[in-house]
Amino acid sequence: MWAFSNKIAVAGIGYSALSRRPQRPLMSLAVEACDAALADAGLTRKDVNGLVTSPAMPRYGGARGTIDGIDVVTPWALSERLGTHRHLAWTGSTNAMVTQGFQEAAMAIASGVCDTVIVYRALHVPQGSYVNYESKYAAAGDQFMAPYGFSVPPSWAGTVARRYFELYGYSRADFARYIADNRANTLKNPNGFWDKPLTRQDYLDARMIADPMSILDCDIPVDGCAALLLTSTERARDLRCKPALLTGFSAGTHPAPAGLPMTLDDIWIGCEQVAQRLWQSSGVRPEEIDTAQVYDGFAPFVYLWLEGLGIVPRGEGLAFLRDGHGSLTGKLPVNTGGGALGEGRLHGMTQLAESVIQVTDRGGERQVPGARRAVATISNGLTKSTAFIFSRDE
Amino acid sequence: MESTQAPAATALRPLPLADEVSAPFWAAARQGRLDIQRCTACRHWIHAPALACPACGSEELAFEPVSGRGTLYSWTVLHHSPGPGFADMLPLIVGIVELAEQPHLLLCANLLQVEPSALRLGMPVRVCFEWLDSDHAVPQFVPAGDA
Ligand SMILES: [Zn+2]
Repeated sequence: MWAFSNKIAVAGIGYSALSRRPQRPLMSLAVEACDAALADAGLTRKDVNGLVTSPAMPRYGGARGTIDGIDVVTPWALSERLGTHRHLAWTGSTNAMVTQGFQEAAMAIASGVCDTVIVYRALHVPQGSYVNYESKYAAAGDQFMAPYGFSVPPSWAGTVARRYFELYGYSRADFARYIADNRANTLKNPNGFWDKPLTRQDYLDARMIADPMSILDCDIPVDGCAALLLTSTERARDLRCKPALLTGFSAGTHPAPAGLPMTLDDIWIGCEQVAQRLWQSSGVRPEEIDTAQVYDGFAPFVYLWLEGLGIVPRGEGLAFLRDGHGSLTGKLPVNTGGGALGEGRLHGMTQLAESVIQVTDRGGERQVPGARRAVATISNGLTKSTAFIFSRDE
Repeated sequence: MESTQAPAATALRPLPLADEVSAPFWAAARQGRLDIQRCTACRHWIHAPALACPACGSEELAFEPVSGRGTLYSWTVLHHSPGPGFADMLPLIVGIVELAEQPHLLLCANLLQVEPSALRLGMPVRVCFEWLDSDHAVPQFVPAGDA
């Protein structure tokens, strides 16, 4: 277990508006989210001395390039915009995913480099097709996939879900309850993107992207920003909100086989590796978890994470969800705010924020009563994946 | 003498761009052969081609022909074209084939001459080659039947 377990805390959450095709530039949304996180904590811009993000487009090419403030928001540009550049001690931005930046922020506080860090993720969705393979040639890793039309990320997840279905005899119908319940959770979340309920039949009728992945198995790309404010637990106790204590975290290093983005068998190995490191770092056991916020950028990852975390054995994750055990009133409420399927694509910030919300009793209608520990997992279990345990301050 | 007709302006699928590591794979494909990289030290098969053997770390690697036989590890079916050049292939089946030579030796390709409803996990498949233009051939797979 780490030396600084429970000594770092999240003391503020801030969201910008999340929407499709807003008129406001991304920088404006990033400023809104950071200011909201500061206000939540009862702090101001002059208190911040660390800023971190992963300032990458989710996936984008084309001639126009990437414009800071419109396509991405780098921490140096944001710092200047916030006026924090004169007193900031540290910016972090070299990570593949923002949730690794969250881990670095915690280490920056533990080391004394900073005492107040904002971790933010601002995402912009450019006009046009999300994946537009417009070049004549496919190079590097793409040369073994793009000539076959295997360049659309949902199709990668499609091969994972298909093998899982075939091995255990599942079909999409087994997932319908989870997806419908997840939408119901979303409607209880003020940051939720959707405002209409969804029936199990709606899920079965949904437009297919890459069979068995439908449009409702994918998070919706939105423009917006989420920000989390980290500080020491000691200091957080004097701030406006109840702190959520960071008990442990871990990162994954298991790669997909070369030439493929992901496979079911490698995802299992990866999720189990991340989970083992997580229990080790935190001293927490799977049975001590009260709610799971597991990555659902592609929905099949939800049941694979439940298996990787050791909550159920391999092959039983989907049955667990089918039988309602992941619902708000089930054995282990999963993605209580609707996850990324419900809030939109924020690359894991949703899972972190919802974990904080649950262990600080801020869940309103979707609160898991008395939740003491939340687990958050991000990405698909392979390299660049991360996981976290947040605990109630008792 | 018949005049040469200009080829129709059909959209091409993305063409594989051979590099220092992958060139022998694509050169073999142009000759209608599936060659896979193999470690000369520990005999481990490697795909996609790599700079070093993931099993033993050796940098002594060479390409060797394989049987072209394998089984279907997984697949997905695309009903909308994932880019220019695929429109006449819909529904497009992207398969992941486990080659017979080694467990988890996986290769992505389209499955041709088969309906999505006939696909089964572990079904035997065999390689064939498709020309994307006059310079680029890619391995594809078809059901191997009872063979
Ligand atoms: Zn070797």
